[in-house]
Amino acid sequence: MTATMVTDPVIDELIGICGPDNVFADRSSRVNRARVPAPFPVHRWAEHVPDVVVLPTTAEQISEVVKLANRYRIPVVPRAGGTGLTDGAVPLRQGIVVDVKLMNKILELDLDDRTVTVQPGINMLKLNEELQKHGVIYPDDPASYPCSLVGGRIGTSGWSLIGGRYGHTRDLVISFQIVLPTGELIWVGDGGGRKVRKSSTGYQLKHLFMGHQGTLGIVTEAVLELVPRPEAEFAAFFSYPDYETAWRSTGALAKSGLATLAGVVLFDEWKLAYLRRDDEAYIPQPDDVRCVVATAMYGTTDEVRPGAKRLLRIGKDTGGAYLGDEISQGDWASRHDRYATPLHGRLRDGQVVPMSWHCEDASINWTQLPAVREKWHDIVARLGDRFRIFDDWGMFAYTNGAFKPWGDYLTEIDVGIWEQELDDEAWDAWVTAKRDIAAVSIAHGGSISACHGACREGEVDLVPEELGGGWDVMKKVKRVLDPLNIMNPGKYLLDQAYEDGPS
Amino acid sequence: MIGFRLSAQRPPDPRRVNDVVVQRFDHVYEVDPALMRDHFQQHDLPAWDTRRIVDSRWEHLAWMHAHWADSVVSGEELMSAEE
Repeated sequence: MTATMVTDPVIDELIGICGPDNVFADRSSRVNRARVPAPFPVHRWAEHVPDVVVLPTTAEQISEVVKLANRYRIPVVPRAGGTGLTDGAVPLRQGIVVDVKLMNKILELDLDDRTVTVQPGINMLKLNEELQKHGVIYPDDPASYPCSLVGGRIGTSGWSLIGGRYGHTRDLVISFQIVLPTGELIWVGDGGGRKVRKSSTGYQLKHLFMGHQGTLGIVTEAVLELVPRPEAEFAAFFSYPDYETAWRSTGALAKSGLATLAGVVLFDEWKLAYLRRDDEAYIPQPDDVRCVVATAMYGTTDEVRPGAKRLLRIGKDTGGAYLGDEISQGDWASRHDRYATPLHGRLRDGQVVPMSWHCEDASINWTQLPAVREKWHDIVARLGDRFRIFDDWGMFAYTNGAFKPWGDYLTEIDVGIWEQELDDEAWDAWVTAKRDIAAVSIAHGGSISACHGACREGEVDLVPEELGGGWDVMKKVKRVLDPLNIMNPGKYLLDQAYEDGPS
Repeated sequence: MIGFRLSAQRPPDPRRVNDVVVQRFDHVYEVDPALMRDHFQQHDLPAWDTRRIVDSRWEHLAWMHAHWADSVVSGEELMSAEE
């Protein structure tokens, strides 16, 4: 799949499938679906503008659109909230963007078997506003909670702030319907029962279709887990005079065994220095606050209150100083909505410039965090030495295990980029830095991405190295399920699956 | 009805907090205007608008707490009860 073939007759057929009000070929509809918040070469924006956008309302319409795309050999790129931090929803070969935002209905609420069935375009915050009336919630809580959509969470195999307590997207989505790259509709889960959480029947296909970044189909319906709405929330932020102490305390807190513990986050010195510039919670902190560890708990009041006492004691015993209710509660509440944070960066002379937030993520084991941190900051410092448009905004490490918040950590380095100043030289240097960051992760026994996906330019080059023999299986799966390379072509190096021609 | 008040329009003079931050209102910090000169200009905000933004932020955070749980447990209260 190398060229687009979206001609007027194709658009007429799309209108016949989706209706005249749901097919958009105008410039603004297309330009606005060219990028996501992930690192993006804005100076090459035009290369990623799709030819046409459709907003279907049924699974059958999506199936027909995909079948049409196969007939005409047109790329199809699925898009949900467009909030991803890798480039899954960015068209690399133009084509048809299938935007699922109009499919945002709750189809069934089952309070007996504790599930809710939804369309993929629903947002978790809006869903939970409805679920709360029934004493339950769907606890998938990314930093984009108010704006990301269920379909994108599945396509990304997303990570949740409170996954240590409730699990991540892969644990919370029980089953789902998906349009395959050839247009067939199938249902995947643990076995065949749509509301079954655990089965030993057949292959575990649910996980195959989690995190494929739009390369294996389009989700059209999903059955989600319900949990009791928490009676109580507790957040505690601790300060530390140095990284070593904070890192050890993080490990102790995460391994506490407290069942209500939803997450533990370690902010390093670079992150604190960044926050001291602009964040009202950190500006007034004394100089000996060099690192911070944030914790949060959810559950019944009878569980959370004694658990919180234990957590406070562990924090204190491991060298932390409680930062108080205002910062703990206020900062924690803001973590559910990081996309609303206005951002600006600094040049090295201190002058403020408009910068976009980019973060490189990885899964890193606790023992490796200190070494990875040093190497990642060195990479970004070298980048900043060459180009003034990059600004190191620090790192955090966040408990990554589902239900068991210990072992490995979602590790991120946040980098501000003055995107308007990007050119090919700076972009190439950025891509090289991203590749170097990924190489460090692999060298330390980690994974390139815990949260965003690993198909971004740069680090994607190392996916075959990370997966080893699994990479060959991945290519075979792609080729079998998508013989014409229709679904999101160019992503994840999967063109390699077709190097000897279409199957 | 309350009419025009100059105090609601004009922010107080800033006092320096550190090398890069100044402060005009309690708990409200702003970037040193000298650092927002070359590439990115600082906006002039009337005092009432700053207060509106800050109040909205607190409302948003309170809403988020109430969205996720019925109550918020206070660490300060737990610690004082332990002492």
